[in-house]
Amino acid sequence: MCVKILKLGKLRKLEDGRASVEEERGRVKVAQRCMTKANYLTTLSFTRWVKDWANATPLFEQAALNFKLVKMPEEAKLAYQQAAMGQIKQSSPWTAAKHMEAAGVLAKELSCWNEVVDFFKQASALYVECGKVQPGADALIRGARAVQELKPNDALTMYMDACRLLEDDNREQMAFDTYRAASNLYIKLNKYREAAVVLLRWGQAANKCKATQSQCKAYLSAIIVYLYAESYEDALACYNNCASMDVFSKSDQDQCAQLLFLAYREGRANEIKHVISTSTIIPHLDHMIIRLAKQLPQGKVMSQEVPEMDIT
Amino acid sequence: MSVIDILTRVDVLCKKYEKYDLDKQWAGADSMSGNDQFLRLYTVVEADIEAAREKSQDAQSEKNRAVVATLNAEVRRSKAALKAEIPKLEKLAAKKVKDLSKEEMAARPDLVVALAQKIEDIPDGVTVGRRGGTWGRKASNPLEIKLDAMHPDDLMRPEHYEQTEESLALRQEYEMRRAKQDEGLDIIAAGLTTLKDMAGDINEELDKQMPLIDEVDTKVDRAAADLKNTNIRLKETLTKMRSNRNFCIDLILIVLILGIGGTLYTYSFSPFTPSFVCLQPLLMYQQSFAVTREQLSVFILNAIVSF
Repeated sequence: MCVKILKLGKLRKLEDGRASVEEERGRVKVAQRCMTKANYLTTLSFTRWVKDWANATPLFEQAALNFKLVKMPEEAKLAYQQAAMGQIKQSSPWTAAKHMEAAGVLAKELSCWNEVVDFFKQASALYVECGKVQPGADALIRGARAVQELKPNDALTMYMDACRLLEDDNREQMAFDTYRAASNLYIKLNKYREAAVVLLRWGQAANKCKATQSQCKAYLSAIIVYLYAESYEDALACYNNCASMDVFSKSDQDQCAQLLFLAYREGRANEIKHVISTSTIIPHLDHMIIRLAKQLPQGKVMSQEVPEMDIT
Repeated sequence: MSVIDILTRVDVLCKKYEKYDLDKQWAGADSMSGNDQFLRLYTVVEADIEAAREKSQDAQSEKNRAVVATLNAEVRRSKAALKAEIPKLEKLAAKKVKDLSKEEMAARPDLVVALAQKIEDIPDGVTVGRRGGTWGRKASNPLEIKLDAMHPDDLMRPEHYEQTEESLALRQEYEMRRAKQDEGLDIIAAGLTTLKDMAGDINEELDKQMPLIDEVDTKVDRAAADLKNTNIRLKETLTKMRSNRNFCIDLILIVLILGIGGTLYTYSFSPFTPSFVCLQPLLMYQQSFAVTREQLSVFILNAIVSF
């Protein structure tokens, strides 16, 4: 009895498998047919003087969907591109942007990194065209995240473009995650000064939307990054600039920075390590910054002379 | 043995066997209402001394230090009050009283002195260096706590400022407890910092979400209003389509069609009509599908019901 049931199950599975294979073949045929027809409609000829995008676009979309389901990414990507073009011609940038994003995802699967960057940038531009800045920025961020491992410079450009878009639209609060991602990527690439600049920009954005907690954390993170990059003067200058703001000067982060600078002034590495290990503020920063802080001090630590005040 | 000691011992013995002294009992009853103020005051002071002594004994047996301190303070207060009564007693002792023998009169000042000594002897938690020359001044124990009785010699002694074992142990215990408290306070501070950080982040997140929710709220309100309008228009359209006038017209037309169809059917089935021949293929067509008159009428009725 059990053997019969098992055999039946196998048969059903085989049947299902055969059905799914047949279904796939059917989908491929449908997709190819749609693609052919759509290409025919969009090809100019003696009888057709204008491309029929209105009829071709749904066919392209159908073909793209079917190619995607049967896991033929190359064909699906082309179909999505054509569908996006069709939507643009029909003055529907929103749908076109969606199709471009889908094409970008497929390009990522195919490891065509340049195309990924292009598609996501185009999608972002289309979103901005229909007045939707947030989705435009999100598209850039998604694209940057997709290529940050293999094309970090392009990813950084996309991150900063997204930040700029949101800043221009007075939506700085939505850009905090982007700033964090950009600064982390810069730190990964050992570009510490650029990372510090991004952190200071984050602080500025936080100041604009009165997010004091994030602002103070960003400033402290920038100071730590400068110290890690062995540029004590830059760190001190950064601290002096930040301390001129009431919000930072009255915060716990300022006290932590003061202790750090005091230890650096005395030139004692043990003291610096003690300050960082016993601090209750540093563990609440971003994990990359904590990792940098735990490796302080970097380079040779010498006692820093306090510049005398000229009272003449 | 001095006179004072003798008097003290006699007092103790008399007190012990007081109940057998009928004269005293009667005299006590009389003297209380009598003119002997000295005796009256003496009795009261003696009773107070006894009460103070009992309190002092309770303080010595008590373990709770706070209670001990309170009792000792009360004893000291009582002693001070009693010491204030001694000059009064001395004055009264010098007064002449009727029916009193010369020996008794002479003994009264000694009684007052003995009473003063008794007051001094009540322990009140403070060891006072004995003033008096009869026993000579003893070398005071350097480990005893002394209050208001510091001799210059004691201060000059080198061992005076040294730490003892007890004080060292106390200091160590104090340092240990202080370190533990500091540890606990540090942990609390760290926890509070974490809470503050989390609260700050939550606050910022809420500030970020607020305009988004407002936007969603506005859009949903707009969509709801559009939907409402659409529903109203749809209802109007349906009402127009399903109005009674249209229904009557539909019914009349159906009846007409049926009438025409029925006439044609009956006319076509008659063999004398020329159209019979023309309609023969149609009839054959009909027959091929085996559509009877009854089935046709049923079909038409179903069509009417569905409308």
